[in-house]
Amino acid sequence: MGEIGAIGLFASAAMISLAIAAFGAALAEGRTAEAAMNALWRQPEVAGRIFMFMILALAFMEALALFVFALVFVLVGRVA
Amino acid sequence: MTEFMSAAAEGTGDHGSEVLFTLFGLDVTPAITTMWAIMALIIIFSFIVTRTLERVPRTRLQAAVELIFESLEELFKGILGDRARGYLPLLISFFLFIVVSNYSGLIPGAGHFKGFLAPTSRWGVTAGLAVIVFFSQQYFGIKEKGLGYFKHFVDPPFLAPLMLPLGILEELVKPFSLSLRLFANIFGGETVLAALLLTLPVLVPISVLALEVIFGLVQAMIFTMLAAVYFANATAEEH
Repeated sequence: MGEIGAIGLFASAAMISLAIAAFGAALAEGRTAEAAMNALWRQPEVAGRIFMFMILALAFMEALALFVFALVFVLVGRVA
Repeated sequence: MTEFMSAAAEGTGDHGSEVLFTLFGLDVTPAITTMWAIMALIIIFSFIVTRTLERVPRTRLQAAVELIFESLEELFKGILGDRARGYLPLLISFFLFIVVSNYSGLIPGAGHFKGFLAPTSRWGVTAGLAVIVFFSQQYFGIKEKGLGYFKHFVDPPFLAPLMLPLGILEELVKPFSLSLRLFANIFGGETVLAALLLTLPVLVPISVLALEVIFGLVQAMIFTMLAAVYFANATAEEH
């Protein structure tokens, strides 16, 4: 193993930032899904609309994690 | 890991974006040739379906396509209301193109054969789609509401100098996030799949492949639904 080097540090930083982004997105999406399930249980007759709005809301949270992914990829491609 | 990352970065950097040939001075990349194939496929399919249309569907093909079309129409009616009809051709074209593009990346050999690559895994392609959404949103807004469309940039009039930059920024961020979401989803899925195939090539990638099948459909739905939401916001009557 020995020394890690600048590129190794950079790869670790990329992976850690991805993990943080995925953690936040998973937390937020979990809360959204929970709320949607509750709504579904209360009013099964509007299941279609609940599903639609849940997917729309999930898209925004997921996008944040994906922005980090794209950013990490661009930076890693530039450095490595 | 570093070697893999750099290999992946290089591989995806060079692999998909090498220039196959130039046409009228423009570079033609694998994403573009695959797009041509997909466009031809959709046009031929639409031609075959609409060639023998009947009021009451008699063929299975027409019944199936009508089922898909009606469920999509129902979806967009939930967002756009009764005005949905006028926007359906654009929205359903988006949906069909994105779905076929996403799934083209799952065909064995995509990304390995020359000139064959899922178009939506390139930012340029999704950015082009988002720019179409951006301009048609402005067009529909001005067509429906005339100059009143620009009122939403300066919503509380006494805060106009503060709200105008924010409103313009909001409009410009929309196509950015719309395109980056679709591109990063498909590209990210492919990268995860590549990483898994390098480390655990047997059976394990099946789970990610199954997820990718779901994501391909969901992302196409999200793109078209967000486009519909933008159109609805641009053309909504004020109360």
